[in-house]
Amino acid sequence: MKKLRIKIDLFIEKVLVLILSAMVLNVLYQIFTRYFTSNPSSFTDELSRFLMIWLGVLGAAYVSGKKKHVSINLLQSKLGNKLRKNIEKLVSIILIIFSFNVLVLGGFNLVYITFVLDQYSPSLNLSMSIVYSVIPLSGILIIFYEMCNNLK
Amino acid sequence: MEILTVLILIISFFVLTFIGTPIAWGIAISSTLTIIFSIPFLPSLTTIAQQMATSLDSFSLIAIPFFILSGKIMTYGGIAKRLIDFAKSIIGALPGGLALINIVSSMLMGAIAGSAMASASAMGSIIGPEMEKEGYPKEYGAAVNITSATIGLVIPPSNILIVYSLASGGVSVAALFLAGYIPGILTGIFLMIVSIFIAKTKGYKSTVKTSLLLIFRKFVIAFPSLFLLFIIIGGIVSGFFTATEASGIAVLYTFLLAFIYKEIKFNDFSKILLEASITSSIVMLLIATSMSMSWVISFENIPQELSNFLVNLSDNKLVILIIINLFILFVGIFMDITPAVLIFTPIFLPIVESIGINPIQFGIMLVLNLCIGLCTPPVGSVLFVGVGVAGTTIEKVFKPLFPLLISMIFSLFLITFFPKITLWLPEIFNLYNP
Repeated sequence: MKKLRIKIDLFIEKVLVLILSAMVLNVLYQIFTRYFTSNPSSFTDELSRFLMIWLGVLGAAYVSGKKKHVSINLLQSKLGNKLRKNIEKLVSIILIIFSFNVLVLGGFNLVYITFVLDQYSPSLNLSMSIVYSVIPLSGILIIFYEMCNNLK
Repeated sequence: MEILTVLILIISFFVLTFIGTPIAWGIAISSTLTIIFSIPFLPSLTTIAQQMATSLDSFSLIAIPFFILSGKIMTYGGIAKRLIDFAKSIIGALPGGLALINIVSSMLMGAIAGSAMASASAMGSIIGPEMEKEGYPKEYGAAVNITSATIGLVIPPSNILIVYSLASGGVSVAALFLAGYIPGILTGIFLMIVSIFIAKTKGYKSTVKTSLLLIFRKFVIAFPSLFLLFIIIGGIVSGFFTATEASGIAVLYTFLLAFIYKEIKFNDFSKILLEASITSSIVMLLIATSMSMSWVISFENIPQELSNFLVNLSDNKLVILIIINLFILFVGIFMDITPAVLIFTPIFLPIVESIGINPIQFGIMLVLNLCIGLCTPPVGSVLFVGVGVAGTTIEKVFKPLFPLLISMIFSLFLITFFPKITLWLPEIFNLYNP
């Protein structure tokens, strides 16, 4: 499990760096085509928005694993070791239930609906189900991370 | 609005936050729990998931990760250091000089990077040790650093003003940016006056020496960094760039500058990109889940009910503004600035617009008000960063923090009751017609 986690972490790190770099290049390209060529690019706006969804949602799962999301630790710091561990476990379980229901079930349903309804993006002609697939994917990752972190 | 749904929303959010659930997830979970009572199970889950994704589907939000990235490049690339040196040469020789340097550098840095947490940690780690060496108490240094870091949120370019523009349904980012200048600088000046006063009464002296020649020299060195401000704001205000395009230019510019200064190697760059994407993801998740909560709140008709309640309470403009300000101050103590802006803008904006307040002025007022909350426990992210960097505790910092917070509240008061302070600059540049 530990080895797998290190591999997954490294892979996501690379993906995040790639996404952010692609976003920057993409917007710079948009400025370039608008001011220096006669036909401004039509796909860059959409592409950077989709990359942003991936950056935000995939990054959120990664950050969850690293426990870097903002939280209030007033209670934890005042409790004994054992009680604190139990509360941390409770938080993990809550996050797993949420991720399973909203991100995995709700997210998968969203992917399914957009797939069945054949929703495509206007300028890239990309299936919206691919864009939304990052939601269930991140849900699975969060469940995996929470199990690694707290429920050994 | 049923009282039950409101109770579920508030109580579940507080309980989740109290036991240490990450705030962003807590917001999403309590929104889900609330909506489940109004629409069927699977559609509620799908709606929340969809709301999270579609709220990030916005071109103007892309400026946020870009400004975060250029801020990181500035910190690592020696650009922040040059700005501090310039500030030092101007005001370092006054009583409490280092505190003033901290305030002006935070304003400059916040002006370019747009993240209060980044500037609190950068300034705290660079100026903090120097202040201690010269005999300032740690707590005083931390208090100055914490309060001045938040002003960068009002001075453009500002990520939180971009968030407000989104939440308000399209108030012009260019107008908001221009509107932020005078309130931001005014608050900075108030903080400086309080710092000089404290330094005089406690006898903190300055050992920094300066001359016109030195100021000129440091200005030349800092000029390329300051020029970025001109490109960004000039580009946005003249309509040459959108805010997002300007932020892309900021990344390119700081990247080139850091290479010219030779303080970043090419290999460091993937580390900086990763750090920026992590910080961005933290903000993005807060935005995504707060937008879902905002959707749930408006679905449950809460804004209309609250608006009726407030309007029935009083029809005096000033009274309503005071009530709203007090409410937001209270909210800011328990909530981070990004969710607070996203959740409370749709609730309060229609009310203040109906009593004749300009949405640009309201945005600056809202952000400055929530900045005060960032400096107070228990949910003050800038407070935590500032205290952490200085190596002191919240209890000890609170006493020197108090007079500085009062000066921020005074500034909020002026901005609330004198619309010209915010609206004058946008008017001059024709970005707003009264």
